[in-house]
Amino acid sequence: MKWKNVLRLIRVDIKSGRLVRGQKLRRYKESRVIQYVMYGGSCIFGVALGLLVGMVYSGVTDPEMKIALLLNVKNLFIAAPTLVLTYSLIFTMMRQIQRTGIKASIQPPYWLPFTWVEHTLAAIVANLIGIQLAALISVVSAIAVVSIFLGEIPFAVLTISALLATAFLASVTTEIFRVIQVKLTGAFYKSSGKKAIWLRFFSSILLIIAFYAIYFFFTSGANLPAIIETLAGGQKTVWFIPYLWLGIALFSFLNGRVLETVAFSLGSVAFFSALFTVAVKLNSRFGLYEPPAIRISIGGYAPRSSLWERLGFSLSEAAIMRKDFKAFTRRRELMYFFALPIIITMIYLSLTTSTPYFQGLSFFSALILLAPGALMATSMGSIIIGQEGTSVWRLYSSPIKAESLVKCKYAFVVIVSCAVTLVCSTLGILIVRPLMRTILAAIIESILLIVSLSAVSLIAGIKGASFVEIPRPRMIRPVESIINFIICLILAGVILFPLIPYIGTIMGFYSPPPPFYLYFALAISGVITAIVTYGSFTIAMKNAKDFLAKAEI
Amino acid sequence: MVKGSGSAVKLVGVAKRYADVVAVDHVDLDVKKGEIFGLLGPNGSGKSTLLKIILALVKPDAGSVNVLGINIEKNPVAIKAQTGYVPEVPRLYEFLTGIEYLDFTADLYGVSTTEKRDRINEYLEALELEGREGDMVSAYSLGMKQKIALISALVHKPKLLLLDEPLGGLDPRSAKIIKDLLRELASKGITTIMSTHILEIAQAMCDRIAIMHGGKLLATGNMKELREKAQLPGSNLEEIFLTLTGTSDIKDVVEALMK
Repeated sequence: MKWKNVLRLIRVDIKSGRLVRGQKLRRYKESRVIQYVMYGGSCIFGVALGLLVGMVYSGVTDPEMKIALLLNVKNLFIAAPTLVLTYSLIFTMMRQIQRTGIKASIQPPYWLPFTWVEHTLAAIVANLIGIQLAALISVVSAIAVVSIFLGEIPFAVLTISALLATAFLASVTTEIFRVIQVKLTGAFYKSSGKKAIWLRFFSSILLIIAFYAIYFFFTSGANLPAIIETLAGGQKTVWFIPYLWLGIALFSFLNGRVLETVAFSLGSVAFFSALFTVAVKLNSRFGLYEPPAIRISIGGYAPRSSLWERLGFSLSEAAIMRKDFKAFTRRRELMYFFALPIIITMIYLSLTTSTPYFQGLSFFSALILLAPGALMATSMGSIIIGQEGTSVWRLYSSPIKAESLVKCKYAFVVIVSCAVTLVCSTLGILIVRPLMRTILAAIIESILLIVSLSAVSLIAGIKGASFVEIPRPRMIRPVESIINFIICLILAGVILFPLIPYIGTIMGFYSPPPPFYLYFALAISGVITAIVTYGSFTIAMKNAKDFLAKAEI
Repeated sequence: MVKGSGSAVKLVGVAKRYADVVAVDHVDLDVKKGEIFGLLGPNGSGKSTLLKIILALVKPDAGSVNVLGINIEKNPVAIKAQTGYVPEVPRLYEFLTGIEYLDFTADLYGVSTTEKRDRINEYLEALELEGREGDMVSAYSLGMKQKIALISALVHKPKLLLLDEPLGGLDPRSAKIIKDLLRELASKGITTIMSTHILEIAQAMCDRIAIMHGGKLLATGNMKELREKAQLPGSNLEEIFLTLTGTSDIKDVVEALMK
């Protein structure tokens, strides 16, 4: 194995980020200062956190409290490898899932003199670079600094080594998962035909929801201390799970069991080696395998009119809407837009059902009816043009008028967002059971938000459309995306503003307004929505005219 | 329709610049109705930009463009409605199947259900795509994608065809079908402007040829006129092209590379 080759391959992976950032480099070299700002910042954050904890520990005078604090920190050290393993697994797998939407994947350059060992190792390391590495640097720096105050430097050294090894363990597992998943997906596509489209759609959404559920479970303030305590004391009972051996080695070291420490540490090294060998073997066998495309239809072509046409859209408008519907159900990177409202619903439900403070607030519970649709409209509206990617030439070269383009794109966002609101609202009503008046008000407000924010986001979507597709579809330029989100947030506040006295009454802040106030507030929201929508629609139309006139990609 | 009666495309003093790069440098061009017109030139000579200007995809910095009697600034949509276009790299929606893509394109041009069914089925059969039309485009080879792009340019029966390297990636049978089809369309008054690097195809197919270099139109005419312009009587298009574009030092380059 040539280490230089591994480094070269990792560099290629890092440099692919230039395409996402849209950098146009004319010179061969670029400044690395910005590249390392994130890691430097993470290190400073970790050191500051370590200093804070260390100084708190030093400042405690009560011996019993000092012992309790020390015990807690040691428990955290023991649990850290398993926690880092979980986080790393989630992050690296999420990254891999995201990569499946990449149009031009970073294929192993098999025609160049690289070995599969070099390629696999590079993929494992590259998988950790970015936020993952920054988080690890923070944790490692904090542990290093805090260990000086605790006088536990050898234990900290072992913990840091375990953490680094754990990150690699997670990444190699992800690499194995990736290769197997590609192969299985291929077999599945081949056998399932059109059904594969829907199965892929629902399984992708479920997978991402599962990852978020695990993530929230671990990061939830209420769960974390209990998890740390369980891991610190209970890891040994499940010693047969090799992924926990590093944590068990730390536990054994703390209890002075040298032999056990050495055994579990060596066991971990052997386990990593075994996983790495499996990853290399799988890569050499299936690394260049491309899953076959799904065969959707067999037999003759028999066109028929679509639902959109029956709803009054023109032939070309209906064609664009049909195509967009297929895009959102077939393109993996777009499918995740449907996961977003479900994740928000999950957060609200976990808050309202587990936290007593929120249980009494019927109107707060009703936010579940408001937020998913509004967020869907904001996010989808901002990418509905950019998601066309480089295939946008088809629209540019077709006789599409700006009016038609804006109409069909806007209608699509509004209809899909309303459908999402309907599903999330039903779920919210069944579980949270708010008052009927609250349901009515929330659903009306939700529709008002969808109608207005879709139009606002469409402005940003047209103006900031980015058709970059390599290495992943960007869809909207970051600046326009951020500005749009801020504007939508402010506008949502303005539209909901007339309801504040009503919300305040429910929360017990104000005396009750007259009974008709709710309807009055809804009417005012409606007027604001009409003004915002009309204004935004006019601007979007103007932007669309410019967009079609300067059709330069 | 008689070939050469009236202009299909008329450019006067058209110029386009991208930052410090001159893409098209004050080009005058008159393509007659029913002509097959070839655009030749080295990479980056401005051929693709010129095609995009004709289709109102790129706004020229100077000059006037009239396509099928319509000024592009006044009514670009009307021009697009009567034009079929295949770009140099036809990026298709990869999540659609071939048939879905063609159906989508036909709808964009407002082709009726019966017409699109008949035409699409005919083209699929002619270009041997039957049996693969239900597969996602992502699984297609380059040649199959090119065939789909060509069908999508023809499905609405355009009056003008703008084809940027139309025969790249096609198998010999399909290439022959497209060549014969373009000739047949020309005889019915359909104008084709195609850019190509394959000089043999240009010489065999095109009624007239324009040679571009550095955004400029170096020469325009039929083979006889081009030979006169290059002062190379009896020469073929390759010799004329290399002479006019000043790239005839091929032998020296090869010798230098072999050292």
